[in-house]
Amino acid sequence: MTKARFDELIHPSTRLTLVATLAAADWAEFAFLKEQLGLSESALSKQLATLEEAGYVATERRPSGGRRKVRARLTTAGRDAFDGHVAALQAIVTGATTPAESPAARS
Amino acid sequence: MTNTAPEQARAALDAVDRARRQVADQVGLPRGYWWVMAAGWLGLGVLGSVSPWLGGTAAAVFGAGHGTLASRLLAGRRRTDGLRVSAAVAGRRTPVVVVGMLVGLVGVTVLAALALHADGAEHASIWAAVLVAAVIGFGGPDILRVLRRWARA
Repeated sequence: MTKARFDELIHPSTRLTLVATLAAADWAEFAFLKEQLGLSESALSKQLATLEEAGYVATERRPSGGRRKVRARLTTAGRDAFDGHVAALQAIVTGATTPAESPAARS
Repeated sequence: MTNTAPEQARAALDAVDRARRQVADQVGLPRGYWWVMAAGWLGLGVLGSVSPWLGGTAAAVFGAGHGTLASRLLAGRRRTDGLRVSAAVAGRRTPVVVVGMLVGLVGVTVLAALALHADGAEHASIWAAVLVAAVIGFGGPDILRVLRRWARA
């Protein structure tokens, strides 16, 4: 069972989509992420750098056809943080809709 | 503690789900796989026309080669070189769906060849193979997508 833990670093919408995309993949190329998220190169680099600094994402440069491609993946810490954040979001939604919590149920 | 409202949390969960579905849409086989398969189908049709024994042997070799060479691709996690879909998202049924699709297309090829032969067409097995090879080459990815949806793979 994943422990719910709201993560302020992951929560901003762009970063949440980026982490959710990486969570569904073993790894993703920079170009793929840029297209999926509709971000500029500098914006995506900044988001990845923030996540990498927190230890949530690891990037590596791989040679490909004379060029070097950047590949990103979620680390174990990043995956745990994402799972905890999703559990926290679900708890917020569930808490708001649980009958026991509603005023009508309490009265 | 967070001050996130339930509506905001719901919107965030929707964004997570959307991102996951976008990655799931990447499940499939590389475009080259379908063209190689179409070429192989055509080759088997020609060999089957020359000699049924030769065609049968070639089909067995082709099937064994496919099982070996394409085994890494069949999970559907490497359709593009832009990412590798996680095993959890790709599911376990994609290889079964691909093999089932190919077996079904063998049946279609045989039926088409029999129908063409009954109609008096020359080289019925070649024409049947041309027909199915075109279906595989041009429509393979779409057929697989539909079959995966039906199989909830």
